[in-house]
Amino acid sequence: MKSIILLAAVVLLSTTACQSQINNAKTETVKVYGNCGMCETTIEKAANKKKISKADWNEETKMASITYDSKKTTLDAVLKNIALAGYDNQSFLAPDAAYDKLPGCCKYDREKKQVAIVTQPAKDTTKPMQNHGSHQHDGMNNTSQETNQLTVVFDTYFALKDALVKTDGNTASAKAKDLETAINAVKMDKLPMNVHTVWMKVLNDLKEDAEHINGTKDISHQRDHFMSLSKNMYELIKVAKPAETVYYQFCPMANDGKGANWLSKESGVKNPYYGSQMLTCGKTVETIKQ
Amino acid sequence: MAIQKTLCKKVLPLAILFTLLISNLFAQKIVRYDLYVKDTIINFTGKAKRAIAVNGQIPMPTLTFTEGDTAEIYVHNEMNEETSLHWHGLFLPNKEDGVPNLTQMPIKPHTTHIYRFPIIQNGTHWYHSHSGLQEQIGMYGNFVMLKKTNDPTFRKGIDDLPTVPILLSEWTNIKPENIHRMLHNANDYPALKKNAVQSYGEAIKVGHFKTKLKNEWKRMLAMDVSDVYYDKILMNGKPSTDLTRIEGKQLKGGDKVRLRISNGGASSYFWLTYAGGKITVVANDGNDVEPVEVDRLIIAVSETYDVVVTIPAENTAFEFLATTEDRTNSASYYIGNGIKQLVSPQPRLKYFEGMKMMNDMMKMNGDLDDMGMNMSLNQMDMNVVMYPEITGDAKPKQDDKDPNRYNANALADIVTLNYAMLRSPINTALPKDAPVKELKFTLTGNMNRYVWSLDNKVVSEADKILIKKGENIRIVIYNNSMMRHPMHLHGHDFRLLNGQGDNAPLKNIVDIMPMETDTLEFNANVEGDWFFHCHILYHMMSGMGRVFTYENQAANPLIPNPKLAQRKLFADDRKMHFMSQNDFATNGNDGEMMLQNTRWSIGSEWRLGYHDMHGYETETHIGRYLGKMQWLMPFVGFDWRYRKMGIDEQEKNLFGQTNTKDNRAVLSLGVNYTLPMLVRFQTEIFTDGIVRLQLMREDIPVTKRLRFAFMVNTDKEYMAGLNYIFNRNFSLRTHYDSDMGFGAGLTFSY
Ligand SMILES: [Cu+2]
Ligand SMILES: [Cu+2]
Repeated sequence: MKSIILLAAVVLLSTTACQSQINNAKTETVKVYGNCGMCETTIEKAANKKKISKADWNEETKMASITYDSKKTTLDAVLKNIALAGYDNQSFLAPDAAYDKLPGCCKYDREKKQVAIVTQPAKDTTKPMQNHGSHQHDGMNNTSQETNQLTVVFDTYFALKDALVKTDGNTASAKAKDLETAINAVKMDKLPMNVHTVWMKVLNDLKEDAEHINGTKDISHQRDHFMSLSKNMYELIKVAKPAETVYYQFCPMANDGKGANWLSKESGVKNPYYGSQMLTCGKTVETIKQ
Repeated sequence: MAIQKTLCKKVLPLAILFTLLISNLFAQKIVRYDLYVKDTIINFTGKAKRAIAVNGQIPMPTLTFTEGDTAEIYVHNEMNEETSLHWHGLFLPNKEDGVPNLTQMPIKPHTTHIYRFPIIQNGTHWYHSHSGLQEQIGMYGNFVMLKKTNDPTFRKGIDDLPTVPILLSEWTNIKPENIHRMLHNANDYPALKKNAVQSYGEAIKVGHFKTKLKNEWKRMLAMDVSDVYYDKILMNGKPSTDLTRIEGKQLKGGDKVRLRISNGGASSYFWLTYAGGKITVVANDGNDVEPVEVDRLIIAVSETYDVVVTIPAENTAFEFLATTEDRTNSASYYIGNGIKQLVSPQPRLKYFEGMKMMNDMMKMNGDLDDMGMNMSLNQMDMNVVMYPEITGDAKPKQDDKDPNRYNANALADIVTLNYAMLRSPINTALPKDAPVKELKFTLTGNMNRYVWSLDNKVVSEADKILIKKGENIRIVIYNNSMMRHPMHLHGHDFRLLNGQGDNAPLKNIVDIMPMETDTLEFNANVEGDWFFHCHILYHMMSGMGRVFTYENQAANPLIPNPKLAQRKLFADDRKMHFMSQNDFATNGNDGEMMLQNTRWSIGSEWRLGYHDMHGYETETHIGRYLGKMQWLMPFVGFDWRYRKMGIDEQEKNLFGQTNTKDNRAVLSLGVNYTLPMLVRFQTEIFTDGIVRLQLMREDIPVTKRLRFAFMVNTDKEYMAGLNYIFNRNFSLRTHYDSDMGFGAGLTFSY
């Protein structure tokens, strides 16, 4: 009899546990601005919908891991609720009124918007535009400051690529070390949120590939890791917007005929996977402008 | 002969040349659209539901013309039911107006009907089905008429902006026929869904018990600013849209965008707000107005507004939000590219403040009292007492003397559009020498029974209104009902007299709030039968309208049998609405069934025990509601009961009359009267001389889901019960009945 009760209790408990589970669960990690533990409670409460969605926000990284029922809602729907609670995030900026209502300790630093020059209707063209111009400048400074720190990462990547083009395993190894240092120096919470999100996604792989390239002088092993390194770097540069135009290039023969990509500052092809063997094999597949 | 021949030779080519020339000079461009109307299944909410799609889409396709074109629209009805299409706000020959049984016969299933008319105006309009409730389930579409580029009224910086037509609409998973039926039976399930029941319990919690008491004393049921619950709000068929490019051109910071917004909702008003700053209103109901900057505006059912918004920053999309007037639901357009800047949602309504305001306005006889405020043109909005963004979150400080206490623009620093701010850029004055005919209408209604009318008459109870071609018609409308009504005139634009003199704006809908009086005028310039009606679909179908008709006008070739057409037109508001419920309880079955329309009620109640001791009893009443408020209903009845002496032996009534309950079948005459507190008082005299007086009320809202019911009569019968509402159809009921004792059970209502 006792065991039956116990069994019943277990069944009951497990069913209640099942009920609070989210079906068709999908988890994504995205940047959500915030400051403190109080923010965490508010953010998670805003994201929480019984059996549909929940979030776990990390005060250190400012990243929220959001789990949701992909058949019943979307990541954006959850992020919208978080923004309506006052917290800027990857997809939405909170209404000013909602941000203003946050308690003092929760008032995180907001990214400034880049004020646009309003196209004046034809009859108003005589009005001076200087005011708008200066506004725009402030905004520009603001955004470039925060992406600046990635420029070092990109530049070391390009140096590494050049070493591979020259089939120089020693230099490649040294440049990979520089790359590791540059990656570790990035203050990720200063990144704009969309960049931050991608950064979090690729960070571990970037580090791992750089480590491997650094740890060997075998050029073919270095080139193997350069393939995934380039892929991740491309994702990053696409959101971070490079200081100057960058070309995403592709060699169909690399990687045993499966093809591989790399990034370059020049439009002309200099293949890092074959070096002098087949220096000009490949083509530009995408031009990434600032 | 020879001469003739040469003449022919010479003249014929010339004639051909001439005709060509003429057709080039004068013939308008014919723009043809083919619309295939078809049943479809749609899934907006996770549940597949029936809808109507045209050319496979909801909303119907956007139809675009340029002033001067000729429209040729082929409507292919591929459904198994009748349909029609009305071109809302258009000037056209009456037979193209698309009102079934008035300007044409309905388009029969699996036939094609051609609408053909010249486009003689420009502006933002829309089109919709005028048949039954089809408009609710998908039959609405944008209808845009562009200005010619050489039009003298062409406005640089407005008419040349990148432009998007946006059609607002709502979706409900409940069949519209069912919604209509539930509205007529005062079913409070929609209020429950919207958390707007306003029960005694909720009233006490916020310190408004007296308000609720006074409200019921004045015989009002709790009301909301709107009475249908919708599952989704749609802008061009979607709850959320990213507007990143227009006509292939990417939007960027600094761009201005013109939105041509039509409210194709069947019963919802929408607040329009924008995250990127001010909204510039540039046209209303398809007519240009002088640009006016506001923070927000409300768009009435079937109105159109053209607004211009600016994208104020780079790499950002700004939310353009449409929120239902009851603030329970919304839809968004994100204008621009990049991260999405949200706009503050409209805060929830303070319902009990609204109830208190209504109490103050309502006289004991059901008339409204504006307390000398002469309200008009949406300038004084009584609803501001419910708006936290205007009157604050807490209870407002009561200042009955303040003349601005309902003036949103005086109370808050945000600017809300009202009709007085609309000014036409052109002189709209009517011909000065034309005779003037003045008409007065009072908008009347009864929320509890969902009867809506003009001068307490529905369409089928009133004659057509005769007007003469060339006359200036001036209409003064006063709203003595508790809801706002968007009154729409077919085939003409009217001037809304709003203090702008010769530059009064041209409109074809005027939204009139409770207690407002508005004056409008138009020149009667096109013959035909023109509908003038409230555009809330369920009000229109309940008969809230009139027909204007011109004296001595030619017969409409599309109405071969006017008598039949009229009978079919009148059938809409004569429709009987069915409701029934039954309580399957431990001590028996308790239930009722009712068929009701504007004036008549046929109802049957029953109490069926499970054995002879408990008895079996039915009462059937056929009655007619009298008066504007419909508090009084005389009826004839038939009672039958059978019982073996049971638990509560009451052979004599309060008047000492002996009443055999064992077996009785009698006719009766009686009268129902709704007392303050919404208690129904019934007096009935039966053919066997017995008199019975009875008091009852079944729907006292104790909490959001709990209802209390009681009944007591002079036969010394009594009942008290509690109902807990689960959903639209089911509730748990427990009651004590003097005949059948204590019982508990499940109630099914339809
Ligand atoms: Cu209409
Ligand atoms: Cu109405």
